[in-house]
Amino acid sequence: MNSPPDAFFLEDRAETKGVDWKLLRRLLRYVVPHRGILAGALAALACGTACQLAGPYIIKIIIDRHITPGVLPGMGRWILLYLAALAGAMGFLYLQMYAVSVLGQRVILSIRREMFSRMERLPVSCFDRTPTGRLMTRLTSDVEALQELISSGLVSTIGDAAVLAGTAAILLGMHLRLALVVFSVLPVLLLFVELLKKHIREANREARRKLARLNAFLQEHVTGVSVVKAFVQEGKSERRFDRLSEEYTAENVRLTNFYSLYFPGVEMFASVAVALLLWRGGVALIAGAVTFGTLVAFLEYAQKFYNPIKDMSDKYNILQSALASSERIFLVLDAEVSPEYPEPPPGGQRMRVERAAARKPASAAIEFRDVWFSYPRAEGGSADRPAEGSPVLRGVSFALEEGRTGAIVGATGAGKTTVLSLLCRFYEIRRGQILLFGTDIREIPRRELRGMLSLVLQDPFLFSGTVLENVTAGGPAVGPALAAAGVDRFAAEWDAGLSTPVGERGGMLSMGQRQMVSFARALAREPKVLLLDEATSSVDPVTEARIREALPGILSGRTALVVAHRLSTVLSADRIFVMHRGKVRESGTHAELMAEAGIYRRLHSLQFGEPPRG
Amino acid sequence: MYALCALGLVISSVLGLLVPWMTRDAINAVSAAREGSASGPGRLLRAVELLALFAVLHALFRYFSRRSLLVAAREVEREMRRQLFSHVIRLPMPFFHATPTGDVMSRMTNDLGAVWLLLGPGLLTLAGTSITWVLAIAFMLRISPMLTGMSLLVAPLVVLLSREYGRAFHRQHRKVQESLASMNATLQENVSGIRLVKAFTLEEREEERFAVDCREYYRRNLDVARTSAAFHGAIGFLAGVGVAFVLYVGGRSVVSGTLSLGGFVAFNAYLAMLAFPTMAMGWVINLFQRGNAAMGRINEFLRLPVESSESGGRAAREAGVPAPACAAGRAVPRGEGAPPYLLEVRGLSFSHEGGGRGETLRDVRFTVRKGEVLGLVGTTGGGKSTLFSLLLGFYPTPPGTILWDGRDAAEIPLPVLRRRVALVPQDPFLFSDSVLENICFGRETPDPAAARDAATLARFLDEVEELPRGFSTVVGERGISLSGGQKQRATIARAVCAGSDFLLLDDALSAVDAETEREIFEGILSAKGERTVLFSTHRMASLSRCDRILVLDAGRIVEEGTHDELLSARGTYYDLYSRQMLARELEDSS
Repeated sequence: MNSPPDAFFLEDRAETKGVDWKLLRRLLRYVVPHRGILAGALAALACGTACQLAGPYIIKIIIDRHITPGVLPGMGRWILLYLAALAGAMGFLYLQMYAVSVLGQRVILSIRREMFSRMERLPVSCFDRTPTGRLMTRLTSDVEALQELISSGLVSTIGDAAVLAGTAAILLGMHLRLALVVFSVLPVLLLFVELLKKHIREANREARRKLARLNAFLQEHVTGVSVVKAFVQEGKSERRFDRLSEEYTAENVRLTNFYSLYFPGVEMFASVAVALLLWRGGVALIAGAVTFGTLVAFLEYAQKFYNPIKDMSDKYNILQSALASSERIFLVLDAEVSPEYPEPPPGGQRMRVERAAARKPASAAIEFRDVWFSYPRAEGGSADRPAEGSPVLRGVSFALEEGRTGAIVGATGAGKTTVLSLLCRFYEIRRGQILLFGTDIREIPRRELRGMLSLVLQDPFLFSGTVLENVTAGGPAVGPALAAAGVDRFAAEWDAGLSTPVGERGGMLSMGQRQMVSFARALAREPKVLLLDEATSSVDPVTEARIREALPGILSGRTALVVAHRLSTVLSADRIFVMHRGKVRESGTHAELMAEAGIYRRLHSLQFGEPPRG
Repeated sequence: MYALCALGLVISSVLGLLVPWMTRDAINAVSAAREGSASGPGRLLRAVELLALFAVLHALFRYFSRRSLLVAAREVEREMRRQLFSHVIRLPMPFFHATPTGDVMSRMTNDLGAVWLLLGPGLLTLAGTSITWVLAIAFMLRISPMLTGMSLLVAPLVVLLSREYGRAFHRQHRKVQESLASMNATLQENVSGIRLVKAFTLEEREEERFAVDCREYYRRNLDVARTSAAFHGAIGFLAGVGVAFVLYVGGRSVVSGTLSLGGFVAFNAYLAMLAFPTMAMGWVINLFQRGNAAMGRINEFLRLPVESSESGGRAAREAGVPAPACAAGRAVPRGEGAPPYLLEVRGLSFSHEGGGRGETLRDVRFTVRKGEVLGLVGTTGGGKSTLFSLLLGFYPTPPGTILWDGRDAAEIPLPVLRRRVALVPQDPFLFSDSVLENICFGRETPDPAAARDAATLARFLDEVEELPRGFSTVVGERGISLSGGQKQRATIARAVCAGSDFLLLDDALSAVDAETEREIFEGILSAKGERTVLFSTHRMASLSRCDRILVLDAGRIVEEGTHDELLSARGTYYDLYSRQMLARELEDSS
């Protein structure tokens, strides 16, 4: 049942196929937990429809018993009854509409939450490959489309169906032959609807496609406007835009044509039915076979009968696009989660780690043994077996003792950041072994593993919320963490202090402040191992000073692995690992490596030192 | 056109209203027949025939009037869309930096949609409803003035209720949209920050946060549902009260003989016909309000001044302000009889509006002669890209600071200015279109032969031919995605194909390997003396073939000279160069 994680960013499928019952059944499974509400809604629907359909019948009685014979006393009672039926119908209508909405919204709520949970557990590689926009579309627009089906489509469709069935039953019960007269135009009408429905659906789909193209063109030309301007192609772009716009308009005109035909057409058939009814009913009335009241009631019921047919085509469209959306939603729900989920049963595994740590106190905190890795490639390869890119790590081996700080240095693209990602088990390695305190990380439960590690990314990403909330997200040791990273000092200057909101992605804070908050977040975890990816881009002098001031305190006495770009960080490390082309080529202290006159020395003079002169 | 539509609407309304009238005749004929009138059955048949005829004609007229009005509205929409697009792409660059793409998109899609709803369905419903109202009341008055007066007592209530509902719905719907936005923000945050979520095992916390958003959204949606359900119930009840009223009073009138049975039935039918248009009025009022607001937002854009294509680039900004005398278009003499420089930049200082972010230029001055190859190096953020943007007139510059052939750039119409050069931007932006269209983007019509030549020069031809459909292959969003190096070469081909002999390359070969870069340069410079090139790069090795090199640091030109001159000067250029040589050495040492 599980589909490969990539499947959900496949292109949208065509919505040409009919109703897929398997999909519908799967959707229905979400309704089951709310069957009480469903039962209530159906009960309200039944009562409401009954009340609604009683109206014309009461009119019939009023005409036959009071108006035609000219008996006024007692008529008021029936009028009151009519009003009561009406009030009942509307009351039940309210209940039914509301209950169906509650039902639908609850279903959507659970689908949405399920999707979110699933998304959180997808492998990181899914996020590398899928454009954010497309992923967001799955999670938002598709669920919205399904909600549309439920909130507007389902509510009225159920109501319409009940009215149709009820009216047909009453008509047949009141007078069989006249009922057949009312239904006589039905075959032609249904044929007419069926014929147009196909065209309308097609034109609708085509119009939507044309609109999507138009909007894509628009978006592209807004983002790429500098290219348009640089090549002075405003005129050409405009003409091409207008051509797309014309195509879209043409499709809409076609659609308008069908709709303009559709509504008056259905109404015409209904009127013809009324004409036939008047004729046959009139003749029967003259012959005394039916009463005036029956004829009038029939006229009313005929109206009620033909009204719902008008919207049939629209309803069908909504159903179609909602099913297409739910198909894509289910693709996400079926996507395979990252191998570290779900959790292995707690207890046993955890003990093993502790035991392992206790058993081998002298073993290294972090050890890479001949680790090979390549990122899954975005293109190429079949969906179920993504083609592998060229290896980023080619047999990386190194070890870092507990309580020490290790600095990874190397040129861009040497695989430094990858080492940190692999340690967090964001990706699965191809070959080799990564050990944390002597245990293979694949044997450590996710929660346990990530609880031991604390990561500071190059880009200090903050969640919207307050400063305090962001630090608390890291772990329980908030106080010491705030002090160590110096967050408390600058936060004290704000009116709201630590409760100051950081804004979307931390946008309300300066770069330096964001960096400090992300340090504090990492420290609040009291991690056994701190993983730090220093920002490559040059930061402003204030930030630079702040970081330089804070780092020694943060790193001292802690097991830390740092992807270092700053000379001061490298110098303060206990051990330096020099990565070059996917391998650790040299390791040692600064003095040792400088003496070696290898890659490090050249790298050092390139990145930190004065370039050699002469 | 609109007059014809209106006429069609009137005719179709009259025909529609005649249908219940014929019902009246039919029932009255039956009544007469029951009372022994011999002409009864004949009258019944005639009424029924007329009814069917009116119904068919009504449908026909309705079809034509609806269609013509809605199609006309679509045409108006298209014209507006065209105008808006051509206006927007002619707005100056700072506009695009200040306005999020989403905002531009929303005005061109949602707001335009709202305007179409006003002009099409809105106008149609308004006209149709008004006509039906007037005519239906006329018919009803003919049947019974007293009944008409009484039954319409509820009408104002219905309109009022619909309007109130429209407002409440709009208000609540906005709240739904707000909570949807907040929910989507959480979602977006989790997609972008997924590594942190996982690293800090925040999955459960984020799920809880998302659930809070979801529940809020759920509640807001139910608010809308409740309002909507209540409205439908109330409106149905109000309409029913009118019917009950007519039943009672009308019934008495029939009994007392002041109203025929047919008239009674027809009256009820007219009342039913009015129910929907009355409700629709609330909707229409809402539509007009929203359409109006949307039109206002669209006009905000349309009122912004566009880049002028007639006079100089700065004309829009400095309308009425005379250009300082220093430059105003005179050729600046440089020695006896010497032709002016192809390009002269003198004392150009610039910083982006709003200050703070972005690169700034300080007192930049240099000259370019025809046929020269000029290199531009410098640190990231040193101002290279800004300089290129200014040469293209993307931002207003002080008059007299940029001169083309001795003529102030401010005097040159922007299209002319931009056609003088061909830019290869740092970000290799391609349109989601065929390779051919992309390479020939700078031409009016695609020219396969020219595209081939340009692709050859950009060392892109072999790869294009390997693509599934060659030059017709669609790239980008809707097609296959090219690698960074391929995109860069495509943009170079595009610039070459545009036909200008002054190329501006803004770090345009960063993703191309050194050997290919060398080949591309060979190609560009093969007709040396004809093409003028100004290029910035991070790869110092390519600079050795430059006639001159400019070193830009923190917005200033700090050094200028040939490669050898600059190396022996032992300044910034030397530093940059030796670092890079070291890095290359390191690269090779595996």
